[in-house]
Amino acid sequence: MTPILKFTNISRSYKKGVPVLESVDFSIAPGEVVGLLGRNGAGKTTLIRIAMGMLYSHSGSVRVFGLSPTEEPVAVKKRVGYVAEDQVLPARLKISELIDFHRYLFPQWNEALERQLLDRFGLNTGSKIKQLSKGEARQVALLCAVCHRPELLILDEPAGGLDPAARREFLETSIQLLNREGTTILFSSHHMTDVERIGGRVVLLDKGKVRLDRQLDELRDEVCMAMAPRASAGSAAVFEQMRGCLSVRLVLDEWHAVFNGSPEAVRQELRETLGIDGIRCVSLPLEELFIELVGGDRKEVVAA
Amino acid sequence: MDLFVNPSGELSLYRQIMRQITDAIAGGRLKPGEKLASHRELSEQLVIAPLTVKKAYDELEALGYIETQRGRGTFVCAHLPRTDAADQADQIRETARKLLSQAYLAGLRFSAVEKILKDADRELTGGSAKNTPGEKVKS
Repeated sequence: MTPILKFTNISRSYKKGVPVLESVDFSIAPGEVVGLLGRNGAGKTTLIRIAMGMLYSHSGSVRVFGLSPTEEPVAVKKRVGYVAEDQVLPARLKISELIDFHRYLFPQWNEALERQLLDRFGLNTGSKIKQLSKGEARQVALLCAVCHRPELLILDEPAGGLDPAARREFLETSIQLLNREGTTILFSSHHMTDVERIGGRVVLLDKGKVRLDRQLDELRDEVCMAMAPRASAGSAAVFEQMRGCLSVRLVLDEWHAVFNGSPEAVRQELRETLGIDGIRCVSLPLEELFIELVGGDRKEVVAA
Repeated sequence: MDLFVNPSGELSLYRQIMRQITDAIAGGRLKPGEKLASHRELSEQLVIAPLTVKKAYDELEALGYIETQRGRGTFVCAHLPRTDAADQADQIRETARKLLSQAYLAGLRFSAVEKILKDADRELTGGSAKNTPGEKVKS
């Protein structure tokens, strides 16, 4: 089956010699929901803009439904819904005028879905865009991105700047769309609990590279963190040389080492490597895993 | 039946759903033959991805706790998979020994453990012990 979205070896830099993306390589199958994670500046928005054909990559290729978004922009955009991180809607238009414009652009526009979302969001179509709250503007942007029933929905920090209630409402709508339309979704987010709720798979970017690409379900069962006293290992390299080690850092007087593997298996392996018993191994919620993998300055630890 | 998920919990979301449903079946709050919400309904109710609920249902079905009847919905199996109580008795006794050992090391008395067990029973069965479908464990 042709993937819905396929990044092959994508590299891109804004300044010479300072790569923003380096050999990014993954694809998304029909019906998948993929959460794109990473710290600020990790390259999430750049990658999304390359998928939308708004930026060229310096090497590698991107295919959306098997097509190049820069060579066949219309064919691609017809089937994609996109909400940008800093989506600017025309301030002086009324909601109804903005919707009319989208309806005109997309012959397959679904008016039933449009009415349903207007009801759900409680939006008054006579309001001008500039009078809307941030949450309402996000809702209008989402409505405009989904009513042509795209096969792929790309959301760049859809919930950025929304309060928890507005975020939950946004999630509820996304989940209803998933249920009813079976849309494939790629979304970036800093809200790890939202990602756990809606995501099936996570791709974690770190300094322009894919650092982790796993099913969420597997993360709890097959990735864990070991906490060992500082004195148990002379340097981070002890852990780094072990099979399946994803990261190591020193937190106060403890090594925190993340491994591929179940807690039991990792505990066993650490007992053999370090020669001590009873090392705590725990599975981590996504937020903690995120911090272990990309938080803090790990260079210092490696040097220590 | 009210389900609840916690994305920052220790278990993955699909396992949280599996555990709550098996707990409800064990405690008699879900009866054999009873209909469950469809995975879509449950996904909207819990605000989690439909595939996550589907995975929980698929696993429960593979374990023989629930069954999907095409066009009708998902039901608690009329005949639950029940391993022989006598076979399990040793394992349960071992778990009890571990539980008591941990409690006594923590300085709890037997009566305190009894109370903890009763509370857990109330949580599982929803307050009425006669709901419990289990057989007596033969000693």
